[in-house]
Amino acid sequence: MPVRASLTRAYKGLLTSSRAVLSIGFGGLLILMIVIAISANRAVARIEAGNVGIRREFLDRDHLLHRLRSDLYQYSLGVRDYLLNTDPRVAEQRRTEVLKTETEMDTALQKYGQNLPRPETAAVKELQRDLQLYYATIEPVLHWDAPTRDARGNEFISTQMLPRHEQLVRMAERISAMDSRQLLVGEAHVASVFAGFRRELMLTALAILLFGAALAWLSIARVEALERESDCRYREVVTAREELHRLSSRLVAAQEEERRKLSRELHDEIGAAMSALLMEMGSLDSALPPGDTALHERVQAVRKLAENNVGLVRNLSLLLRPPMLDDLGLVPALKWKAREVARRTGIKIRVEAEEVSDDLPDEHRTCIFRVVQEALHNATRHAGASHVRIQVRQEATQIHVQISDDGTGFEPRLEKGVGILGMEERVRNLGGKLHIESAPGRGARLSFELPLEQPVPVQPA
Amino acid sequence: MSVIRILLAEDHAIMRTGLRLVLERQADFQVIGEASDGREALAQAQKERPNVVVMDIGMPNLNGIEATRQVSATVPDCAVVILSMHSDEGYVLRALKAGAKGYLLKESAESDLIAAIRAVVAGKAYFSPAVSRMLVEDYVRQLQDREIEDSYELLTTREREVLQLIAEGRSNKEIANQLNVSLYTIETHRGNLMEKLNLHTVPELILYAVRKGVIA
Repeated sequence: MPVRASLTRAYKGLLTSSRAVLSIGFGGLLILMIVIAISANRAVARIEAGNVGIRREFLDRDHLLHRLRSDLYQYSLGVRDYLLNTDPRVAEQRRTEVLKTETEMDTALQKYGQNLPRPETAAVKELQRDLQLYYATIEPVLHWDAPTRDARGNEFISTQMLPRHEQLVRMAERISAMDSRQLLVGEAHVASVFAGFRRELMLTALAILLFGAALAWLSIARVEALERESDCRYREVVTAREELHRLSSRLVAAQEEERRKLSRELHDEIGAAMSALLMEMGSLDSALPPGDTALHERVQAVRKLAENNVGLVRNLSLLLRPPMLDDLGLVPALKWKAREVARRTGIKIRVEAEEVSDDLPDEHRTCIFRVVQEALHNATRHAGASHVRIQVRQEATQIHVQISDDGTGFEPRLEKGVGILGMEERVRNLGGKLHIESAPGRGARLSFELPLEQPVPVQPA
Repeated sequence: MSVIRILLAEDHAIMRTGLRLVLERQADFQVIGEASDGREALAQAQKERPNVVVMDIGMPNLNGIEATRQVSATVPDCAVVILSMHSDEGYVLRALKAGAKGYLLKESAESDLIAAIRAVVAGKAYFSPAVSRMLVEDYVRQLQDREIEDSYELLTTREREVLQLIAEGRSNKEIANQLNVSLYTIETHRGNLMEKLNLHTVPELILYAVRKGVIA
């Protein structure tokens, strides 16, 4: 069917194009989301690493500075103890300790000097220089003998050592303060990195939002187009189907009308003419001289031929459309059909159709009669039934028909011949639905209801 | 010998001519008129009051069945013999219900018509042998199908006599006279036998009698 093929093609084209667009759109959106997730992860890791590094560096330097200060105190204390102690053994011990502390302080300060931020370098250099000066101030004292120490110790401590010691401590504190400021600078840097990242994130999110909105709009537009398209197609199919039904019901009606005419013509005109012929033959026979046997026999032979023809014409007429359907109504026609089939095949047929009107609409009469006729045909020809029961029941708004047989039965879903399709079509044309219940070996039951548009008075047959 | 006056109602002229020829061969038959449709037949029957109307079942204007119903209603002493192409009992019953006394198949009209007219004039029912045969056969088959007892066996001898007389068209009074019993007795018999046979109207009873071969 070309129409069907083009419909299918159009539908498939629509599906394919919108599928491509939607795939690309949603794919892009997904990729964008993955990208943003990865970059966010990286930025967070970077910020975290920066934070930790700055803090660790600060702590390390703070620790060193702390130790330097405590070493400084220890150094100054050591020098004081050395100066004030009269016991030469203890003084010697203190001197050794002081020298050792000196080395430790140098090492610590050197270590501190590595990787310094620029502003601190000068301060540390100054501290280093002052420390060397401090050492140089202390250096001669360490060679003093006990009486010198005792005599000049106190004075040295208060005039030389303490001021230098305090200057160094202040210097260290200044460096510590600078360190703290450096920490703040580092934190500010991290914060700016974070802010940059946040801006980036916001921008990406905005892009995703815009992109997603565009995609959603596109999808909705596509879906709506599809819906309109399928709605249009659906309406076309429905219209086509209705058209088909109308056509088929008109076809059925036209066929019935044709049959009715032919049947009437055969029966009333040709049949009547044949009857007249028979009568004339009878008159001719009795008008012949009684003695002429040969002539009588020939007339009889012709008469026999004419009688056969009458039978043929009548059967043909009944086959086309039984006149009782129009002359007497549905039930007499059904009863005639039942008797006729019973006579021909020997099966037992019961018609239960009390209280059914003889004035049913023509289409209903015809439909029921034809369906019953087909069902009887199936029951006798294919199912080999021995009993058939035909029930017709008229109700206020519908007429119910059921035909059941005890034949071999069949599988209704698989074996649907032209006969059954025809029955379904006839019933559907009048707004009913044919139900078939059957199974191999279980007989068959056909039933249907036809709605009656206006109530038909019921009159007992 | 009284003359039997006959009206022919048949829409086919050739058939009418043939029937007239057959009828006029009988000395005591007189064809008093011809009609080619039901309305004409009714008008002539009401005007001429024939003994018998030979009525085709399928005619224009007023069909044969309806014409029969109106003739039976308006011309009491007139018997109607139906001419039909159909041997089916649906048509026979319809004709009897309309008041017809005889039912003939057209194909055998030439040989049966005389006998039919003589029978209905005598007050009896008449059916073409082919029709009777078919009615009987169908009835027997139905009895066999339903495997029920033949209801005729339920009737007493007297009831069978009454059945035959009713089917032949006698009135209750005539039957009472003939059997020499009271009218009341006949009415009782009649009620009983109709109940036993599950029949409700005289046409059904006539059909039953034909099926049983009680009458021809």
